[in-house]
Amino acid sequence: MNFWQTILPVLAALLLAPLLPGVIARVKAAVAGRRGPPLCQLYFDLWKLLRKGAVYSRTTTWVFRAAPGIALAALLCALPLLPAPGADALVSCSGSMFILIGLLALARFATVAAALDTGSSFEGMGGSREVQFAALAEPAVLLALAALARASGTCALGGMFAGTVGPLWQTAAPAVGLLAVALGIVLLAENCRIPFDDPNTHLELTMIHEVMVLDYGGPDLAFILYGAALKLWVFGTLLVNLLVPWQDAARPLAGTGVLIVGLVAVAIAIGLIESALARLRLLKVPQLLLGAGALAGLGLLLIVRL
Amino acid sequence: MVPSFYLYFALALPALLALATLLRLSPAAQLRLLAFGTAGVALGALPAVIRVWAGCDEIVAAQGWLRLDALGALHVLLLLAVFVPAAVYARRYFGVEIAAGEFSAGAARRFAALWFGALAMMLLVLLANNLGIMWVGVEATTLLTAFLICTHRTAGSLEAMWKYLLMCSVGVAVAFMGILLIAAATRHTGMPATSALLWTNLMATQGKLDPALVKAGFLFLVVGFGTKAGLAPMHNWLPDAHSQAPSPVSAVFSGCLLNSALYCILRCLPLAEGVSGNTGWARGVLVALGLLSMLVAAGLLLAQRDLKRLLAYSSVEHIGVMALGVGLGGLGAFAAMLHMLGHALAKPLGFFCAGTIGQAYGTHDLRRIGGVVRQAPPWGIGLVLSLLALIGMAPGVLFLSELLVLKAAVEQQAWWTVGLYLAALAVAFIAVLRRAIALGWDSSAPPPERPSAAAAGADAWLLTILPLVLLSVLGLLLPMGLAELLLRAAMIVGGAL
Amino acid sequence: MNHILDTLLVILLLSCFLLLGTSRLAAAVRMTAVQGFMIGLLPLAIEGGEIRLRVAILAALIAVLKAGVFPWLLMRTVRSAGTTHEERPLVGYGLSTLLGVAAVGAAFWLDSRLPFSAEAHSKLVVPVAFSVMATGLFLMVARRTAICQVLGYLTLENGIYIFGLAIVSGIPMLVELGVLMDMFVAVFVMGIAIFRISREFDHIDAAQLTSLKG
Repeated sequence: MNFWQTILPVLAALLLAPLLPGVIARVKAAVAGRRGPPLCQLYFDLWKLLRKGAVYSRTTTWVFRAAPGIALAALLCALPLLPAPGADALVSCSGSMFILIGLLALARFATVAAALDTGSSFEGMGGSREVQFAALAEPAVLLALAALARASGTCALGGMFAGTVGPLWQTAAPAVGLLAVALGIVLLAENCRIPFDDPNTHLELTMIHEVMVLDYGGPDLAFILYGAALKLWVFGTLLVNLLVPWQDAARPLAGTGVLIVGLVAVAIAIGLIESALARLRLLKVPQLLLGAGALAGLGLLLIVRL
Repeated sequence: MVPSFYLYFALALPALLALATLLRLSPAAQLRLLAFGTAGVALGALPAVIRVWAGCDEIVAAQGWLRLDALGALHVLLLLAVFVPAAVYARRYFGVEIAAGEFSAGAARRFAALWFGALAMMLLVLLANNLGIMWVGVEATTLLTAFLICTHRTAGSLEAMWKYLLMCSVGVAVAFMGILLIAAATRHTGMPATSALLWTNLMATQGKLDPALVKAGFLFLVVGFGTKAGLAPMHNWLPDAHSQAPSPVSAVFSGCLLNSALYCILRCLPLAEGVSGNTGWARGVLVALGLLSMLVAAGLLLAQRDLKRLLAYSSVEHIGVMALGVGLGGLGAFAAMLHMLGHALAKPLGFFCAGTIGQAYGTHDLRRIGGVVRQAPPWGIGLVLSLLALIGMAPGVLFLSELLVLKAAVEQQAWWTVGLYLAALAVAFIAVLRRAIALGWDSSAPPPERPSAAAAGADAWLLTILPLVLLSVLGLLLPMGLAELLLRAAMIVGGAL
Repeated sequence: MNHILDTLLVILLLSCFLLLGTSRLAAAVRMTAVQGFMIGLLPLAIEGGEIRLRVAILAALIAVLKAGVFPWLLMRTVRSAGTTHEERPLVGYGLSTLLGVAAVGAAFWLDSRLPFSAEAHSKLVVPVAFSVMATGLFLMVARRTAICQVLGYLTLENGIYIFGLAIVSGIPMLVELGVLMDMFVAVFVMGIAIFRISREFDHIDAAQLTSLKG
């Protein structure tokens, strides 16, 4: 029983992650009055890309070829660390929050290294921006998780949410709200959503993430797209766990259902945000991320004091 | 007449006069109103002062919210002794500008209204028995006097006004923090909130106050009101405001505004001392700030090239002497009261003369003014003699008071204090004396541009000679009656002979 | 633990961060208005259940003044001064925000060393008061435009007011009204002063007011 309730979220992530970008695209299209692409567009894209061969530039080295695999592997490793609401994680060890951050950083490092490896100035620029913003976003996540760790007394992601978030909403609702906002901002930044980055842009000068992967095609691009979907799933899971203090010992399996519903809701929210906001000027991005860090820090302070 | 009526009368008169200035009068008529009105306020407030002077312990009004005791009476007396000559002098000072067409009716009306408003608020500070009301008065004087600084709308005066507004507002905000802390300290005294902040109640229940909170509150109050009083290191606004304001306003700033802020600190002192068990902790704070002010001012006096800034830094120094004297306690407190008296006589005189001479020469730059004793007789003589009085030349009240402060320090065997005090006095003495000699007799400087501005007249001789005579006579023999008032005021802040 | 009170206090903190992080004067003025409104609500939140008439009057007065009159006056000054942005602040906005967080941390630490919170209505009141005060002082020092300095002064006053609410149960109404009146006059006077400065210098950059020295 316990096994199923921990492995179900992982299976759901593997299967359903590519659905989230589809939901976002549909919401944006609906707001704009268009029909939009099918919900399963990313599945079709992935299937198409996987059947193709890859072409590599002669200036690139093994770093470039290894990067998509490493990045995807890191994200796949991150999945079992995450719990569904009310349940434990598949792999729950003390300090797994740091492992999660480390795995995300590893994926980012691989992508950035590959971007630099191409020797193209555009990709180098994208890499530099990615690292700059990540350097500001990572502390915000760490602070938010640290606040939860403090409240729950454990650094394991599995035990951090279940049984902690519920009471916390009752005693320190403002603080949890701050953490949620901080995590939400970081989610948008890390997943290259508006207002930080426009995933649909076609102007290399303003892109951040997309510009780094311009030289990929075929299965490599499929890995990268799938990895991006998983990353959205990872951050979404953290947010859902924080926002939904759902716990029902009688029906542990339902936690996965709650998680999926929550993630779809998050995707819809992202779609609405993307429809309502314009992309920020690049100079303003660090400020917003710093703000997220400030909110998370404030949340931590409040939780420490209460 | 019921004594409490005196207090209402003293407060209401300037407020009514402030309203009267809103009448459409010509600038000259406004200035006449200013002079006679201020004299009227003095006549209105004097009965209360005289009653207290004559031996009445205190006059209470408005269910204890207004109160005049010896300390207050002394301050009111000095306030009037500065305001009345300043108003008389304002007629002359602005008369020159009216003649030159530089002073419009609107400016005159604004000036007169703010003048009476400031006078009313300063009286409120001195008469209030409630810490909160006192704070309101201090903040109100800041706001009212800010626009007196920029009566002439120049870049310099706007800058001075902004600095003054900002620094003093923050200072007064800090002081409010101190009031909150003291109010918090009264929580366990069982007094109702409405009367807990009355000075008389605070002093009566000091045994039940929370000492830590009162100490913290005292520090905030000293920093806050100290900013307004011009104690270093919160004095930055002072030289700018004094030098840019018209001279009658500078005189009021130096002679009254600083004193009324210091008065608030003096009120807190016995409370903080009493609550902290008379360990001398609160006095130590004042001694340290007083010495620091004296040293900073003495150093900056050396570098001054502007006549009015010279006088302004001298005010910082003298406020330092007063704080030091009160901090030393005993004889020192008496000396501080005497010093306050001397300063209130000498400093306005200095500003009057500096203002007129500045008008005659078209500048306050010390390098371009010289030989004033011959060039502009009453004002030049007044300026040089007031500078000499201010650095403590004998015979003069300030010589006597500075000597008594020294005696108090020596009696307490506070040798560091003695050393720093003498050093600061010596530096200030040299700095000002050097300038005073050049001002008075250096014949190489160019003659005044507009000698008519410094014309001698009966009012000129009266304004300059009377304070000088008082300064020297009181320095030689202090009448028993006056000494008694000073002593009673000093005893309130822990003084003795 | 009082949920409404805590939420108000957290919003107050956030408004401080936003004040530190914005360069637009109009936005800063609006933020002060929000702050003023929260300050107005605070006494009601502290009272909780039964609300006395005196408290209600005071709360309404404060809300009207701080969220209505002051912002209106300042907004008018912003418009008449012809400056929309704070240019070249002495401390950048990102760093300011970080310093704001540091100030909150310091405020919590300071609070843990002081005896006030034990009797306060919420553990947050005193630290929030300290942080708001620190924000105000910081704005006065680190910003160049006269308007931002006035906003800093207002924020400082707000902080002191919160502190007063936390530790003093009853300062007499008369004094409270006097304080409020003085605040009003202060902002009014400063507004006029800014207006005069901007007319004289064609700008409201207080940092250029540096001719008087020594």
